[in-house]
Amino acid sequence: MAHSFRFLEDIAVADIAFEAEGDSALELFQAATDALLETLADPSTVAMTWERDIEHAAMGLDELLFEWLSDLVYWKDAAGVVFHDADLSVVHDGIRWKLMAVLRGAPVDQTTQTLRNDVKGVTKHLYEVTQQGVRWYAKVVVDV
Amino acid sequence: MTLNTDMRVNRITDEVWEIPVTEKAGMLAPARIYATPGILQAMDRGVFEQVTNVACLPGIARYALCMPDGHWGYGFPIGGVAAFDTTSGIISPGGVGYDVNCGMRLIRTDLTLEDVQPKLERLMTELFRRVPAGVGAAGFVRLDRDAFERVMTHGARWCIEEGYGWHRDLAHMEDRGCIVGADPSTVSDHAVARGINQLGTLGSGNHYLEVQVVSSNRVFDLETASALGIIGQDQVVVMVHCGSRGFGHQVASDYLKVFEKAMRRYGIFVKDQQLACAPFRSPEGQEYFSAMNCAANTAFANRQVITHQIREAFASVFGTSAEELGMELVYDVAHNIAKVERYAEGELLVHRKGSTRAFGPGSPGLPWDFQKTGQPVICGGSMETGSYLLVGTDRAVDETFGSTMHGSGRTMSRAQAKKAIRGEQLQQEMKRRGILVKAVSMSGLAEEAGFAYKNISDVVETVDRAGITKKVAELRPIGNIKG
Repeated sequence: MAHSFRFLEDIAVADIAFEAEGDSALELFQAATDALLETLADPSTVAMTWERDIEHAAMGLDELLFEWLSDLVYWKDAAGVVFHDADLSVVHDGIRWKLMAVLRGAPVDQTTQTLRNDVKGVTKHLYEVTQQGVRWYAKVVVDV
Repeated sequence: MTLNTDMRVNRITDEVWEIPVTEKAGMLAPARIYATPGILQAMDRGVFEQVTNVACLPGIARYALCMPDGHWGYGFPIGGVAAFDTTSGIISPGGVGYDVNCGMRLIRTDLTLEDVQPKLERLMTELFRRVPAGVGAAGFVRLDRDAFERVMTHGARWCIEEGYGWHRDLAHMEDRGCIVGADPSTVSDHAVARGINQLGTLGSGNHYLEVQVVSSNRVFDLETASALGIIGQDQVVVMVHCGSRGFGHQVASDYLKVFEKAMRRYGIFVKDQQLACAPFRSPEGQEYFSAMNCAANTAFANRQVITHQIREAFASVFGTSAEELGMELVYDVAHNIAKVERYAEGELLVHRKGSTRAFGPGSPGLPWDFQKTGQPVICGGSMETGSYLLVGTDRAVDETFGSTMHGSGRTMSRAQAKKAIRGEQLQQEMKRRGILVKAVSMSGLAEEAGFAYKNISDVVETVDRAGITKKVAELRPIGNIKG
């Protein structure tokens, strides 16, 4: 199991929480990205007619993941899109963590896409990124 | 009585409970919770922790409060009220909520259930078409940056100037739909980009547009109801619940980051990162207040544009004008906001987060036609169980910084609700019970099932018995639009 996520039932009753995990920082980012994309819409029902290159750098992996997930919410509103997938690269250059991503999706279309929750933002409540051995974990609560 | 806390909770009355300052290190004031014993027992641990965390914030006046619909929130509990001295106290986005000026609006009509029932399907289809809801929905109003900045500074007034409503609507909104002191230069480009296309949209989650009926036997105070335009007799009304959408959320997120850094500079320590705050009179505090007011005005404008669309939909379906249908605005209330108000302690910044202003008769700021009744308070329940119209009281002004409940409050997580029922099944069940639901997302619909919420009637009875609001009428849903 390289990466996976699960929605959490017992916290944030009014909102949505998930836990993501992966065998590397990259796998963790892919798991968390999958979780957020699934929260917004069923990615398999979203075409790939919109694309955006995104780069971020941060001292901590937690900060980088927070910025990236917040970016997804931003582009959802600013471009009026939902997402199919994202190609990710996450590296540590000895000083900072860097993310390079290609985010793909399509304008919101209620007739063809299975839409879910209009996430308003990623929150710092219970937010954490941890490493146990080689495996990375993140707990995220999003406001809907 | 077993509670979800180890802290000592003292009974003040059957509806008021107090946690003394000795129960947590750093508390500067006691915490008070408005609840019946049953509601108090059902409250989650987060309420007790969070309301006492709020009681530790600098400059807090009298008590940190939580209303009976309270539950865990970000920083402050939902249902939280706290007032801070404007000179020595703080301002906190966590005390306002991410959805700045999320609020409720009620529109009356002269129509009855008998008039509407035969056309309900067509009406709901028309409303669903005219009021976009759900993920990424864009409104019909196209704005450039200059126009959006006028929305930020003028709020609902901008809508009236543009023909989206009637001038008299303004008198029936908190602050006449326009809070002064909104400065667009304090708002980020990111926030503008998120909000500029969202005017006139509902969003998703617990936001909705609902067509409701007022039965005569559910009008509790006929004289007050009549003064608010509510007559019972199966009268049809329309309720709207939404806020400042992505724009307000971005404003809150932007300033949480600013405040995290500012707190170190001002030597403020909080027990929860989501309580990040700054002195109200600091440059950071004033900038957030100004940006928050931009978002609050945008929310007033959002609900006003939606009102315009509702009127257009009714006029189209019933073949006559909205004026002829008597579609007057009863009132518009904010339940996520911070406002400067004057109380016995002097000038205070009152944070209401999932709590409604509830000014009593004769209070400043009320329009002439509500001077005798007190301010209308609109409380939304779950889409299955109905909502309430109440009025504010002098006792609220004396006891709770003029504040009361805002809704029913969730008791079950979204994930649990989705496991318990499917959206399509819920939609069919509600149709059988005479409630027509149009939803963008079936999973989102399941998350909003009535069993995921407290019984709003229990919550309303609590504030009524506590005397901080007086119930006027119960509103029963017959049609609902969800994102």
